[in-house]
Amino acid sequence: MTDNTRPDIRRPSRPHAHALIVSVGATLLGAAFVTDIAYWLTLNGQWETSSIWLLTGGLIVAFLAALTLLAEVLLRRVGKISWPRFIAIAVAALLALVNAFVHSRDGYTAVVPTGIALSFITTLIIISIGVRGWDLTSLSGTRP
Amino acid sequence: MIIPHSRLLCAAACALALSACNDEGSDKSQYGSSPDLPAPQEYLIPPMRVAPAGSWREGETPKVAAGLQVRAIATGLMHPRSVYTLLNGDVLIVESNGPKAPINRPKDYIMGVVKGYAGTGAPGGNRITLVRYTEGQPPLQTIFLDKPNSPFGVALVGNDLYVANTDAIMRYPYKTGETQITAPGEVLTELPAGPINHHWTKSLVASPDGTKLYVGAGSNSNITENGMAAEAGRAAIYEVDRATGAKRIFASGLRNPNGLQFELHTGQLWAVVNERDEIGPDLVPDYLTSVRDGGFYGWPYSYFGQHLDPRVQPQRPDLVARAISPDYALGSHVAPLGLVFSNPSSLPVAYRNGAFVGEHGSWDRSPLSGYKVVYIPFKDGRPDGNPVDVVTGFLSADEKTQGRPVGLALDATGALLVADDVGNTVWLVSAGAGATQAAPN
Repeated sequence: MTDNTRPDIRRPSRPHAHALIVSVGATLLGAAFVTDIAYWLTLNGQWETSSIWLLTGGLIVAFLAALTLLAEVLLRRVGKISWPRFIAIAVAALLALVNAFVHSRDGYTAVVPTGIALSFITTLIIISIGVRGWDLTSLSGTRP
Repeated sequence: MIIPHSRLLCAAACALALSACNDEGSDKSQYGSSPDLPAPQEYLIPPMRVAPAGSWREGETPKVAAGLQVRAIATGLMHPRSVYTLLNGDVLIVESNGPKAPINRPKDYIMGVVKGYAGTGAPGGNRITLVRYTEGQPPLQTIFLDKPNSPFGVALVGNDLYVANTDAIMRYPYKTGETQITAPGEVLTELPAGPINHHWTKSLVASPDGTKLYVGAGSNSNITENGMAAEAGRAAIYEVDRATGAKRIFASGLRNPNGLQFELHTGQLWAVVNERDEIGPDLVPDYLTSVRDGGFYGWPYSYFGQHLDPRVQPQRPDLVARAISPDYALGSHVAPLGLVFSNPSSLPVAYRNGAFVGEHGSWDRSPLSGYKVVYIPFKDGRPDGNPVDVVTGFLSADEKTQGRPVGLALDATGALLVADDVGNTVWLVSAGAGATQAAPN
């Protein structure tokens, strides 16, 4: 029997921990595209330096997100992984890793053309996933 | 762990299908006035091959060419970088290393680890040691000048001893025979240093008439990645008036000029220059060049004349148009840091009309290059012929460094002094017994 003494209030479900962390990493990686554009327009090396730190930070956070998701799966805190979303984000992270090496070159060619192209593709993937939130699991029926 | 597996990493990077992994350098020589220059390459991970720092075993020495002999005149030093002979035959040994480099990018952290592995980051003594080893006098090794600020160049004019610290040329009173300087010294002129100070060694030489000093100030980056503002007054050789300390830029576009020396027959200033990295194992050759008043030698915009560097934007076509192609390529990444003309030396005749160059050795190419002292024959005051190996054996069979040659000088007897900053030794290379007479030509 269900408890009918209390009204059925639908509690908004708390986001999964990994989704919070993915959102942070995605923000950092997307910001690197913005600083790349700034470098391209100004040729001020400060923007190039900003980009490589944003990429490095984004990659560290992406790694933490992956560990968190793994923990959540093992602890059965989440349902099934949504593979298309997971793979898209993983590809974005891999491109960002390659991009970190490109951005570690010295001078103009650290950004133009390969670096900024990779930042653009990474950002495009992130936004296309992010419009539906940062959770990488299938949300239906995941919460008790 | 990253370093020994750099090729593996490079292979992994190639697997990502974004770069061709053609990181093997050519064995073909890149000597002379028009070296073979391949097209520049861009890497995900630039070629890196670092010879880890070891040490000389007891009694072990570098190898010298036939007709020569070698012995240590000072051991147990702290990162000796340059040597200078005083009038009475006493030898000054500058023990030094650069100020701690700031970390501007994640890459700087990695480079710090690589340098430590190769022994480049070893703590310098930050002092100048005096050694006396002349026959008939008791041997002496004593601290001559303590705690200058990352010194490198030394020049004596009359009773004025000049020391080029990384941030200033200092003047000290000195009388022949003194073994210690306690006077605080005075600043003759300040030099570009600052918080980054990427190429920190300030090479120094006095003009033959003693009225001017010439001092090198290397670039503040590999290829302007720290911004053009950081390059103000750098990659240049200054002419400093000895009386007033007034200075002007004598020549520019010299990425990291060292070994400033006058060729006495022509009165011409020469230098060895470390060129840029990370565009291929065979780019850009380091070089030996005469230095012309007002000359521009390309850095950062171009190399060997009008070869543009794609990493530098915006470009300066006006400067590139007048960029001088240097006189003599020494080979890529050999890292020349020492230069001395052999005339007048007491070495066999075959080594008496040319220049010795101390090559510290590569870290960013395979096969390794440099790690030796070479002799470049001259004719009529110009280089004429291929380099000849004079002092080798700094690399062991398993490609560890037992030592690395840096600064050079002739001693009072005309023998060759070699500072070794990994072996923490200064070597003296002299004619072998009877070699002077037996030497051909």
